[in-house]
Amino acid sequence: MRFWGWVSKILLEPWPVWIGILFLSLTNLYMFIYARALGVFPQMAMWGTWLYNLLGWNIEAPFPAIPVKLPYLDPHSLLDFGIILGALGVALLNREFKFRKENLEGYFWAILGGFLMGLGTVLMPPCNVGGFWVATMAFSLSGPLSGIGLLFGAYIGTKFLRIELNKALEKVDFHSASEVEPLKPKNSTQPIWGIILLALIFLIALTYYYYNLALHTGLFLFGVIFGVIFQRSRICFVAAFREITASYNGKLMKYIIISIAISAIGFAFLKSKGYQPYHMVFPAGWHNLIGGIIFGIGMVLAGGCGVGILVRSGEGYTRSWMALIVGCLTSGAWTGIYGYKVGQGWIYGPSIFLPDTIGWLGSFLLIYSFLFLFYLFILWMEGKK
Amino acid sequence: MKEIKIGKIKENYYQIDMRGWMCPYPKYAIENLLEKLPPQSYMDLLVDCPAATQDVPEVVRKKGFRVEKVVLINDGEWSITIKNF
Repeated sequence: MRFWGWVSKILLEPWPVWIGILFLSLTNLYMFIYARALGVFPQMAMWGTWLYNLLGWNIEAPFPAIPVKLPYLDPHSLLDFGIILGALGVALLNREFKFRKENLEGYFWAILGGFLMGLGTVLMPPCNVGGFWVATMAFSLSGPLSGIGLLFGAYIGTKFLRIELNKALEKVDFHSASEVEPLKPKNSTQPIWGIILLALIFLIALTYYYYNLALHTGLFLFGVIFGVIFQRSRICFVAAFREITASYNGKLMKYIIISIAISAIGFAFLKSKGYQPYHMVFPAGWHNLIGGIIFGIGMVLAGGCGVGILVRSGEGYTRSWMALIVGCLTSGAWTGIYGYKVGQGWIYGPSIFLPDTIGWLGSFLLIYSFLFLFYLFILWMEGKK
Repeated sequence: MKEIKIGKIKENYYQIDMRGWMCPYPKYAIENLLEKLPPQSYMDLLVDCPAATQDVPEVVRKKGFRVEKVVLINDGEWSITIKNF
């Protein structure tokens, strides 16, 4: 009874943000120990390239680490599928799934947002969570630079977001309201479908395991856990950047900064012992800033970063579906347009793993100074409230 | 263009329908709506994004208004009842 009490508490109650961030950090660290850290967009870019190849445009996937493969046989893609299904599963259990349609204007913003995210992910690279959150704790110089770009991008994106809302708000007039009936709560079968889906998730994992695809099974299950964490705790990396300037509320970003500071210690232990030292270390240069700005605008317009649109796709947001498709198709075409892969050619700077350049002490000083300054900046912004 | 639908349930009791407006729109809209809400009235704000069930009450309370209840009315849809007195 006690056990099931905890299970229902975890699956059926909203989590406080700090619990979500704690679980997110631990799961990310465990997954890094298992195989890789969290990052979702490079595999989504591969889906786009995979589709182009299917249609006869033979190009390579933009990210060297993730070559074109049937998505369901690519372990990284299974992480993403896990996130969508995990979020869908708990959304159904909690009656939070809805097929959320948009009007033309909403889809326009989704297409524009998806396009900018697709372009931003190959320029930055890769996305908000992988390129800022994980890259910074992984001692990649690109992480802090991308973070600065994302902050500017989110600020610009919010300006666009307000246009649509302000137009609608102008027309709201309480004095001309017509008579309506109050809405009564309705019953639903969604929780049953949630249980069926969770059983199906278990079955999918077993199938991969049966075919000796242990890595696929593992990453899929990690994805499901991430999906549950994001859906239940409502952690949104877009909101974390956006609200600093939009409502002078930096609560979420402050938690994220603390999580980076703590996780960096774990990453340092592993990396200093020679475990995947160059994992999540990306090219560093002006493209982090430009890519971050472009991605930052896109994620605000689309209503979710890479992970966000996966989670929201699971919750039934068609705006996220559209952004996801356009994001995949844009980033997937990169080698066909640019001629090189991400990290190659004239655009990208070298991949800089800070401990190689300034040693571990210097790296900690640099990353912690960045986090400290970012924290101070948030406090300053919050003071404007 | 997307609309924010407004209805009147009875005297001094309004219904604002923001279903279809994903987050953070309801959170950004609520301040403006509170300014327009006539005194001594109630408002049911209908939303269909889960985060709004936390974000909106937070803003409402900060502005000195009261949140009477947050009710799940249908799959993925909530009604947030706000009191202006």
